[in-house]
Amino acid sequence: MKPVIVVHGGAGAILQKYAEGYRSGVKRAALRGYDILRQGGDAITAVEEAVVVLEDDPHFNAGHGSVLNEEGEVEMDAIIMDGKDLSSGAVSAVRCIANPIKLARLVMEKTDHMLLTGNGAALFAKSQGIPEIPGEKLISERSRERWKKNLLSSSTQKGFGTVGAVAVDSQGNVASATSTGGITNKMVGRVGDTACIGSGGYADNNSGAVSTTGHGESIMKVTLARLILHYMEQGMSVEEAADAGLNYMKTRVDDSGGVIVVNSAGEWTAKFSTNQMSWAAIKDDNLNCGIYLGENEIIPISENL
Amino acid sequence: MDITPVIVVHGGAWAIPDDLAESSKSGVKSAAKCGFSVLANGGSAVNAVECAVQMLEDNNVFDAGHGAVLNAEGDVELDAIIMDGRNLAVGAVSCIKNIANPVKFARTVMEKTPHVMLTGAGANKFAETMNIKQVPREELVTELALKEWEQYQKYQQSVTSLFNSEQMHDTVGAVAIDSEGNVACATSTGGITNKMVGRVGDSPIIGSGAYADNFTGAVSTTGHGESIMKVTLARLVLFNMEKGETRQDAADHALDYMKNKVHGRGGLITVCKTGEWAASFTTKRMAWASVKNNILTFGLNPGENFHEAIDT
Repeated sequence: MKPVIVVHGGAGAILQKYAEGYRSGVKRAALRGYDILRQGGDAITAVEEAVVVLEDDPHFNAGHGSVLNEEGEVEMDAIIMDGKDLSSGAVSAVRCIANPIKLARLVMEKTDHMLLTGNGAALFAKSQGIPEIPGEKLISERSRERWKKNLLSSSTQKGFGTVGAVAVDSQGNVASATSTGGITNKMVGRVGDTACIGSGGYADNNSGAVSTTGHGESIMKVTLARLILHYMEQGMSVEEAADAGLNYMKTRVDDSGGVIVVNSAGEWTAKFSTNQMSWAAIKDDNLNCGIYLGENEIIPISENL
Repeated sequence: MDITPVIVVHGGAWAIPDDLAESSKSGVKSAAKCGFSVLANGGSAVNAVECAVQMLEDNNVFDAGHGAVLNAEGDVELDAIIMDGRNLAVGAVSCIKNIANPVKFARTVMEKTPHVMLTGAGANKFAETMNIKQVPREELVTELALKEWEQYQKYQQSVTSLFNSEQMHDTVGAVAIDSEGNVACATSTGGITNKMVGRVGDSPIIGSGAYADNFTGAVSTTGHGESIMKVTLARLVLFNMEKGETRQDAADHALDYMKNKVHGRGGLITVCKTGEWAASFTTKRMAWASVKNNILTFGLNPGENFHEAIDT
């Protein structure tokens, strides 16, 4: 089985001046995940590590660079899922940690539960020796500016973003991971799609793995990740299923978003109904990457490493 | 469209001990009647499920609102969800404290915020601004919940082994279809005894604890939360219906899938868009009741189907 990784850095408007930053971020994340897969690592570790790269990059709305809630603070959601046995871990409304996706994996592996929230999640992080960092450290200049602007105009700008990864490893196991700071100016305690299994992510070896991005409330209403895999179970290809899921979200709740999908045969796709979504994928030592509709830059990865 | 309104409620799927059997039965019967009276008076499915679940939350017998179980620290943390199949509008709360009727609060989230889900302290803060009554923890804690907690503290069993022994309370819920053909669902729970602080189960997770869509039907689930989440049980039942399965097959197949795939047991109630309904479970017992055409149907043990005419 040839391993595959696909990552996204969020669907939504990407300003021209940041495009290169997004592009190099998703490429680095995909390369990081692929490196693990090529060395025989499993899909779950590959998606975790790829998402860590994106959480650490302040361009993206996850970990460092997360958007701010109505009180000017960072609260983050993340989920990880292993398609081998449907085990999953998630955290919601967590603060003051650098990598929510790592905490999600610990929830999966070290507890009887699947989702820990708020203060309880913080207590668990502490018990696992995850360092608490000042909330300030997660805030990028851009997030702060965006938040201030939002306060002034009382606009309802959604500030989309979310990062994610899906992978299939050489054993044919699939996995997914998604992480986000949510939407700018969200209410304190708001949980979006990302932490909710079946909405922000899902992985099942019998069908495939999905990570979603876009307006969280709309994604939840249609349980987008699970919907796409349902379509694949019905015989649709990864592309058809991704398009059908996004179309359904458009017609039923009038909203747009983006998804990355891989099936257990290693077929993959990156689709979005927003204007842009930064994404990258690696298969057969070729890196594919894009931001705009129809864009697909292909680079042999020997040039990248 | 003229649809005969239906309500179905459940009081949790688990090995309900004999000394709670009668009170569980009468609890779900009252809740079903309460929800049905809303429908009979032309009320919406959303109002009906809210009314029924509120009644179950107020009943000490059930693990939701009053009577909720205690977490590892002896505290009460509650989850709830409500969904309107007309437009897929949904509201949910997770890990909230000191609120007697989480389902009403979930409805407030649905109607008064741009969000779907609020959690923890942030949710409680919003409750304050909406003047939702907060009650002291003691008011929600029953003798039984306290006794259970003390026992679990003593033996330090894992949550999974506890659940598999089915000695756990779990969750209440309701589904309904109104005379206009709109479906809705609501689920509310205190979770599982001795859960970690901050643990969120399936109940407030859309597609796991509940789902409602006028194009197919509505579902409310109960059972081992982590297993329900792994298979997104509510959504799975509706997917099965979309494939053409009857509501009973859709329910049974989804529960079988959960048992075989992740070794989890549970129960669910469902109503489909034509008004046919089902109550199904793989645990030892589940208290459930339903009203359609002024006939109350209810049961507790597998295969039970008692009927009573109700006065209007």
